[in-house]
Amino acid sequence: MPEIKVTPLGAGQDVGRSCILVSIGGKNIMLDCGMHMGYNDDRRFPDFSYITQNGRLTEFLDCVIISHFHLDHCGALPFMSEMVGYDGPIYMTHPTKAICPILLEDFRKITVDKKGETNFFTSQMIKDCMKKVVPLNLHQTVQVDDELEIKAYYAGHVLGAAMVHIKVGSESVVYTGDYNMTPDRHLGAAWIDKCRPDILISESTYATTIRDSKRCRERDFLKKVHESIERGGKVLIPVFALGRAQELCILLETFWERMNLKAPIYFSTGLTEKANHYYKLFITWTNQKIRKTFVQRNMFEFKHIKPFDRSYADNPGPMVVFATPGMLHAGQSLQIFKKWAGNEKNMVIMPGYCVQGTIGHKILNGQRKLEMEGRATLDVKLQVEYMSFSAHADAKGIMQLIRMAEPRNMLLVHGEGAKMVFLKGKIEQEFSIDCYMPANGETATVTTNPSVPVDISLNLLKREMALGGPLPDPKKPRTMHGTLIMKENSLKLVSSEQALKELGLNEHQLRFTCRVQLQDPHSDTDTLHRVYTHLKSVLKGYTIQHLPDGTVMVESIVIKVSSSAEDPNTKVLLLSGVIRTRTWGVFFQPC
Amino acid sequence: GPNPIYITDMLTPWDIVNIEYLCFHFLTFVCLFVCLFVCVFTAVCVAGYAPSHNEILELRLPLKLFADENKGLCAERDFKVAHGGFTDGPVRCLKHVPGTRCVVTNDGRSSDLQLWDLGGDDSGTFHQESERVESGSRIAARLSSPPRVLHGARSSDVRLSELTSGRTLYTLEADSADPLTSLQFVSDSVFLAGCCNGSVYVADTRTPDAPQLSPPPASSASSALWWTDASEGLSTCRLVRLSSSGRAVMSDLRKLGGAVSQAQLEVQSRRCDLGDVTVSWAPALDDCVAVSGFSGVVQIFDTSLWRSELQEARPLFVHRGHTVSSPPEDGVPVLVTHHVWHPELPRTLLSAASDGSVHVWDWVNQSAASS
Repeated sequence: MPEIKVTPLGAGQDVGRSCILVSIGGKNIMLDCGMHMGYNDDRRFPDFSYITQNGRLTEFLDCVIISHFHLDHCGALPFMSEMVGYDGPIYMTHPTKAICPILLEDFRKITVDKKGETNFFTSQMIKDCMKKVVPLNLHQTVQVDDELEIKAYYAGHVLGAAMVHIKVGSESVVYTGDYNMTPDRHLGAAWIDKCRPDILISESTYATTIRDSKRCRERDFLKKVHESIERGGKVLIPVFALGRAQELCILLETFWERMNLKAPIYFSTGLTEKANHYYKLFITWTNQKIRKTFVQRNMFEFKHIKPFDRSYADNPGPMVVFATPGMLHAGQSLQIFKKWAGNEKNMVIMPGYCVQGTIGHKILNGQRKLEMEGRATLDVKLQVEYMSFSAHADAKGIMQLIRMAEPRNMLLVHGEGAKMVFLKGKIEQEFSIDCYMPANGETATVTTNPSVPVDISLNLLKREMALGGPLPDPKKPRTMHGTLIMKENSLKLVSSEQALKELGLNEHQLRFTCRVQLQDPHSDTDTLHRVYTHLKSVLKGYTIQHLPDGTVMVESIVIKVSSSAEDPNTKVLLLSGVIRTRTWGVFFQPC
Repeated sequence: GPNPIYITDMLTPWDIVNIEYLCFHFLTFVCLFVCLFVCVFTAVCVAGYAPSHNEILELRLPLKLFADENKGLCAERDFKVAHGGFTDGPVRCLKHVPGTRCVVTNDGRSSDLQLWDLGGDDSGTFHQESERVESGSRIAARLSSPPRVLHGARSSDVRLSELTSGRTLYTLEADSADPLTSLQFVSDSVFLAGCCNGSVYVADTRTPDAPQLSPPPASSASSALWWTDASEGLSTCRLVRLSSSGRAVMSDLRKLGGAVSQAQLEVQSRRCDLGDVTVSWAPALDDCVAVSGFSGVVQIFDTSLWRSELQEARPLFVHRGHTVSSPPEDGVPVLVTHHVWHPELPRTLLSAASDGSVHVWDWVNQSAASS
């Protein structure tokens, strides 16, 4: 039976690093190539030895697909392509292609420069890796080769995030990456058509979680900012660039307007430049289906939010500043942080995950004394808050996506197996499909039932219909007879006669005979008559004829009687007929 | 096609004006009716049903609820599904049996009770022989060994049953067969059975004596429905009775005949069913009572302000979160289906609504000088 194999790579049950291998229709595809942020050694990379023990991966993989720019989905890509070795195509959306190298470079700098690690990819490797990237547009089918095709769908979550539909022949798989089923203020919700893939592969990191609503998180954010401002404190919000930053800006702007607040809000200029660049990307990415109201608004035309000048950081009184980079590891956000850290009235709100080694990570772990350059220590007295706005699909989201795509099977990766028994049960109960949950390094094999489309000749169809009876029903298939002709790339079902004609063959009939001996003293004619009478009584419902030429016919079987040469009382019945579908037997009893 | 982004849903007044209070909100899978019970300090049991299936979930409450205000570091805001189970019928009443990992439910169609072992499968059903009642059974449980459950749908069929054997230990000898809207222990053996007509039976499971019967509050309309809750104070035990027209009457359990005080509560009265309204005393706060079920809000009242003459009472606090949490479908307004107080965090409540939303919130007494 044809089957699709799915193997999440990596050691142990760790979550936070995505790299999934799919074998479908003879093709091998790698989905995402993420880095595990918690480890400092080789455990942070996926275990590629599963693919091959030594040597390059190029001949073992048909393509690599990256879902979005988060490091736990693309962080190991340069390592895989340049240090292990892969020269085939790497597919990702345009925004992902633009943003990935920046994040990878930032990450490389932190790891190598700040932490002094050596076995890591270089800047040149990142560049070389990105040269292998083939960008994808939404909803456009791309032929990887003459058998494998892929298509990207909108996933929400972050700018450029995509879910991908992979098809080989009549088998298909959808991989979700990270997605979001509830629309955001600046990103829509994930959407896919009823493509009915054989397998829907989804992350289940948050499958046993029910997320607190965005609305409540936002309320909390506003509450924190408001409290700080009210007591005269300064609020620093380190951000990446687009997306979340803009959303928070819009939120604050609305709040300031409603509450008639006067404290200034700034965004740093570094942010403006980056943001404008990504904004342009964003337009191209979201142009297709996104409502124009967002697109038309100029990103920095806020009433209450102004560009920042670094001298403002020393101004007295309350203020809010958005500054890059997001993890406080360098640049303007770090400079501002150093100035404000010593005052307990101030606050820093970290809006996302921080990589180990960054100041953001340290303060989120409660560190209150930081070692800065030149051996100076910084006392961290300001309030440290963490507000996670990133939206992942939780259990509810997974159910919604299944309802949308209608897969034949469900496969969950990166979840805590034991805890997901309830969700698995829920999926199986509600959708009547199988749900697989392979552990890292374990292969799930899903048998597919591919449908093979076949053309049928009109004559054959008419003939079958002429046979009468009920029309065929999907629940009660009816057997029909025909000949399957496979010619070039087409499959055709025709009647036997038509097939023979096409092949230029003559029809032959096989005729079978058998001899039955009887003891009967009567004449040949009488014996024949007695056989006729007997058969008529026991074989009711069959056509039995006594023909003038001295034969009896039961349906198409001809019976003749002759006497044995040696003994006139021994009669020999000769039966002959053409084989039809029914087996025929002979009913004789001594009479 | 795909969902468009929108920016237009700006903050509602609720978001802005009331940001002082902490609130967590989540939408359950696909549930239309949710009933809650806080089974332990850190977890809540939530049951829900939708046309296609019914389930019970045991959820761990967000860590942030218990986090020290000043730390605010990474404390999670999410609810974790600890266990889940499927039920054949809807869950109309759900109670935790103290001292066990068991929960008892009733589906509202019969007086059968289902016994659940959290973390395990449904460990069985036990039922009593009594006629079918539409509203189903009320359930009450008290810490005892071996575990026992008090249950009944009408005043005529209230029994105390041993959980494991199903053996009846006590039966309430009531004159009437009124449908119950509440059933509650006020001590280890004394319990109240509140009837929908406003009368309340007080009985002791240790004696076969006839129970005390407190008639409905004076001038109660014959069509009114009443709900009841008793508080367990250190020195006093007070009873609050709330009618479907919003009239609340408070009496002392030792003198059930007379009313101590009363008030006309500012509730949106509507045609209610027996199971719609919940009135509950705060377990860790003096004089506070929460009311829900009339509309999409939960209201907190200060009973110390009530007088012997009937006067209007304004709520101390109103939780409106359910009315803004999701757009109303087909113009059908959201109704709060159930609420409970957290047993120990004094100002924390959990409420559920007909759209499947569940809120955990910590209210702030805005009229108090300092919070």
